[in-house]
Amino acid sequence: MAAHLSYGRVNLNILREAARKELREFLDKCAGSKAIVWDEYLTGPFGLIAQYSLLKEHEVEKMFTLKSGRLPAADVKNIIFFVRPRLELMDIIAENIISEDKMHSPRDFHILFVPRRSMLCEQRLKEQGVLASFINIEEYILDLIPYDGDLLSMEYESAFRECYLENDQTSLYHTAKGLMTLQALYGTIPQIYGKGECARHVANMMLRMKREFAGSQNQILPVFDTLLLLDRNVDLLTPLATQLTYEGLIDEVYGITNGYVKLPPEKFAQKKQGEASKDLPTEPKKLQLNSAEELYAEIRDKNFNAVGAALSKKAKIISAAFEERHNAKTVGEIKQFVSQLPHMQAARSSLANHTSIAELIKDITTSEAFFDNLTVEQEFMTGVETDKVNTYIEDSIAQKDPLIKILRLVSMQSVCNNGLKQKVFDYYRREILQTYGYEHILTLNNLEKAGLLKLQSNSRNNYPTIRKTLKLWMEDANEQNPNDISYVYSGYAPLSIRLTQVLARPGWRSIEEVLKMLPGPHFEERQQLPAGLHKKRQQGENRTTLVFFLGGVSYAEIAALRFLSQMEDSGMEYIIATTKLLNGTTWIKSLMDRPEAQTS
Amino acid sequence: YQVTASYREKSAVDEYNKAKNEFSAKATEDEMRLLRFQRKLDDEKGAGLLGLSLQATMEALLALGLHKQAEQLYRDFRVPDKRYWWLKLKSLAEKEEWEELEKF
Repeated sequence: MAAHLSYGRVNLNILREAARKELREFLDKCAGSKAIVWDEYLTGPFGLIAQYSLLKEHEVEKMFTLKSGRLPAADVKNIIFFVRPRLELMDIIAENIISEDKMHSPRDFHILFVPRRSMLCEQRLKEQGVLASFINIEEYILDLIPYDGDLLSMEYESAFRECYLENDQTSLYHTAKGLMTLQALYGTIPQIYGKGECARHVANMMLRMKREFAGSQNQILPVFDTLLLLDRNVDLLTPLATQLTYEGLIDEVYGITNGYVKLPPEKFAQKKQGEASKDLPTEPKKLQLNSAEELYAEIRDKNFNAVGAALSKKAKIISAAFEERHNAKTVGEIKQFVSQLPHMQAARSSLANHTSIAELIKDITTSEAFFDNLTVEQEFMTGVETDKVNTYIEDSIAQKDPLIKILRLVSMQSVCNNGLKQKVFDYYRREILQTYGYEHILTLNNLEKAGLLKLQSNSRNNYPTIRKTLKLWMEDANEQNPNDISYVYSGYAPLSIRLTQVLARPGWRSIEEVLKMLPGPHFEERQQLPAGLHKKRQQGENRTTLVFFLGGVSYAEIAALRFLSQMEDSGMEYIIATTKLLNGTTWIKSLMDRPEAQTS
Repeated sequence: YQVTASYREKSAVDEYNKAKNEFSAKATEDEMRLLRFQRKLDDEKGAGLLGLSLQATMEALLALGLHKQAEQLYRDFRVPDKRYWWLKLKSLAEKEEWEELEKF
């Protein structure tokens, strides 16, 4: 089961169970054997809610991927389409159904829209003449998906693009709805703070939705004390920087999707004992990464430079544990040793996996290219020569390095300089268009619109003030035994997390000036609790804050929040929610024009 | 095709000018110039350049040994020296034209 979801301060398994219950209820509505036709995008997120076994219990016998043409043969009574509400998918469904009818097979069709029904889609099905073929058309509201004991994500990839480029606030509605579901399960959150335009919208929607339900009062003792809503565009800098935590680097290098990472197989050639790998050796090795794995939970949030030491320490502990068998003399002792074996073997294979991953990543972090790139990033973050054309960027363009890398660096320079000088801006843009092609002019426009690139206005560069006030750069970051969140980027303390930290203590009033420099309003709202639900806090009991990143959050930021939760004197535990887990590369990609056409 | 394409780009330039987006207007004009150049060479030598970026065009020209034409683009489009020399060195080294390299 999903034990890793209930370890934390807040039992997120409750949310998962609620989602599973709803799924079961829908499946039981379609009596008899079933086949599910999947919108491929949904399989990842769904895997976190329900494994195949649950579906099987409810007579799901076959699963297909949604494709145009005819449906594969399946001897089942029901065909259920699990889809996002997208018009192009409706056309495929219509094609499936029309080619099906010709065969006169008496099957029942159903659609489950995730996360919302859409009138437009139903209209499209009607136009195609297939709407009447469906017995059930329902929605499955899956807004916040539990990823780990302290982490929720909507995996809404285009949220940032929609909010900041296209002025489409659909994702904010889903966010507000998701937060209402959360409050229904975990109690009304008494205090709401926020910074940014989108945060303001979400808070307004939540308060309005609450008024609409004014009749029924939520009688659950609140689990969360505070909700903090943060717009991604309040802190554009952090995701652009290369993450230096173990998990962050795995994501930067290989990409983590829906809690899984695919790795080159060479390093994992050895089969683990008692576990026959189904993959052919040529296929990438797929690993699940979450806190259910003891070792991973321990090292994921460390700075990568501290991972080696942690792994070798673990190796010593494990081999010492295996050595214990020589000391076992009596039958009772041997029995005890044997009973621990499965656990120890699991620990050993987990250690082997992470040693291999760490080796793979080390090859990259020790390369000259990585070092040069990082040096430039750190120069920008500390404000060194941010108003000149940077030689390293220039050389990288001349060598035709991946475009996204260039865009990440130029954006970073722009953000750290509060915009680029006209001459510098034009130079970079010309270089990019001449080298990578004129078509990228649209991508450059998008980045400009999102605020990642901009022309310096006459106003002063206020980044240095922000950096100093919030202590964004710490000269003596300790990577091995950190005493400050700046360890996650080896010196740079993420702006978003500093805001969170200051809010807890001493409060935002102390940084009014800086808050005004950052985009969007900052605000505070209170939600009245019914009498009797006011928590009586025990001495020394931590408070719980839900931090919601609108537009995405990086693994390094999550690591920084976990670090704050663990600090003894912080008195605050954090649960993290977001529209999307991202890194600089996936983020920039989501802003590019026709990203699927980009190969470089 | 040529007529409509250049017409469309012409109007793109107009629109960018109207929007006071000088950079994009200039970039679009440059692109039109490049496309005309590519079409001409494609017609003359069957070089297969149409649609390539400026850098990729120069790279292709150097690979084909059309040094003069590459040089022309480098000057016309005010390509920074560093990027052009880098490209030229790489191309010559790839073709192992060490004598040509010596002349630098």
